[in-house]
Amino acid sequence: MFYIYLAILAIVLALTVWVLFDTKKLSLQVTAAMVIVPLLLRLLMIK
Amino acid sequence: MQKHTISAIICLAGALVAAAIAGASFLAMRKPDLIVRGPGVTDVKMLSDWFPGLKGTPGDTEVYILKGADDGASMLVLGGTHPNEPAGHIAAIMLIENAQPKSGTLYVIPRANASGFTANDPQEGAPQSFTIQTPNGPRVFRYGSRATNPIHQWPDPNVYIHASSGQTLSGSETRNLNRGYPGRPDGTLTERVCYGIVQLIKKENVTITVDLHEASPEYPVINAIVAHPKAMQLASDMVLGLEMQDIKISLEPSPVNLRGLTHRELGDFTDTLPVLMETANASQGRLRGRTDEALVLTGKDKWYVRAEKLGRLYVPYDEKGHPLEERVGRHVTAISELMNSWNLEHPEKPLEFEGLPGYEDFLTKGIGVFLLPLPAKN
Ligand SMILES: [Zn+2]
Repeated sequence: MFYIYLAILAIVLALTVWVLFDTKKLSLQVTAAMVIVPLLLRLLMIK
Repeated sequence: MQKHTISAIICLAGALVAAAIAGASFLAMRKPDLIVRGPGVTDVKMLSDWFPGLKGTPGDTEVYILKGADDGASMLVLGGTHPNEPAGHIAAIMLIENAQPKSGTLYVIPRANASGFTANDPQEGAPQSFTIQTPNGPRVFRYGSRATNPIHQWPDPNVYIHASSGQTLSGSETRNLNRGYPGRPDGTLTERVCYGIVQLIKKENVTITVDLHEASPEYPVINAIVAHPKAMQLASDMVLGLEMQDIKISLEPSPVNLRGLTHRELGDFTDTLPVLMETANASQGRLRGRTDEALVLTGKDKWYVRAEKLGRLYVPYDEKGHPLEERVGRHVTAISELMNSWNLEHPEKPLEFEGLPGYEDFLTKGIGVFLLPLPAKN
């Protein structure tokens, strides 16, 4: 179960980074950057 | 390179820097506070010495042992069952750094839920630590989460089913140490810690177990002792002893249908006499205003004063608050009184400890003077 959650998390993180580089809208890029922080901290099992 | 790619790289770099700063701060919380071995400490073991299944896990925690020269009864004191209730944690440290055993054995677990000390509860705005000034410089203590760190036990189920009774609670209670007793050797990390504590009680034949807590001022069970039916006589003798010192404490019987708690399961599953004690902690309450170190240390909060005037609280509350020294003083004095009560009924098997500060000592001198100097860094 734990690894399924981590896999889902990794996919969402990858998609967020993809959106960050794909979009031309700066506001969406900033939003994506903010979303990356908690996803990354959880993927690394820090928080 | 396109303009939006450049801004994407800048945003990503910003996110990585933010993650690094936040990550370093969160990782720093995993380093346990220093606790000094007092003159009465005869041994320090780990809970995994009683239940090897905890070895190497974030649930493993120190057990300080203070063994007297004379045989007698034994007492286990649990601090930090809920790491956001600092008086319980600090009272346990007071025993470790001050108590000197004569007869009997004292086992103290200052961080019963060690994992809970490595994180804060989200959205509570609680400080990560608080500082107590001592004559030898400041001592810093962690202000943790009520529950096991989700990094160590995750994900939560939707519904937490207490293993031995089938009682259902909300999913996050699966990480609440005081809902997991008697625990399971193959259960969640929280249940394994419970199981470890039960093994210690059984193997060492612990006579009395005291679980130290705090509660919100609006919570009905406060400035109280909750006792298992087996421990009712002991607890009521203790209440009288505290009354003699003008310390008001209410005595509550452990509810039969509230499962997983120390005052219920330790009495049902082991031979120990379990009690749980609560003091008033505004920093965990729902009516509090600004939540900072000062609130943890002083309990001063204008909203609680207002709530008191509206008759919403179960403890008196005025501008003086409920400072940590008063709350720790209540716990330590109650433990001394529990020992006295035990000794009155069982003089052949006494629990005698010296060096414990009294309630007035805490009120007049504070906590800092009873904390030992940290060993010099080399
Ligand atoms: Zn508690």
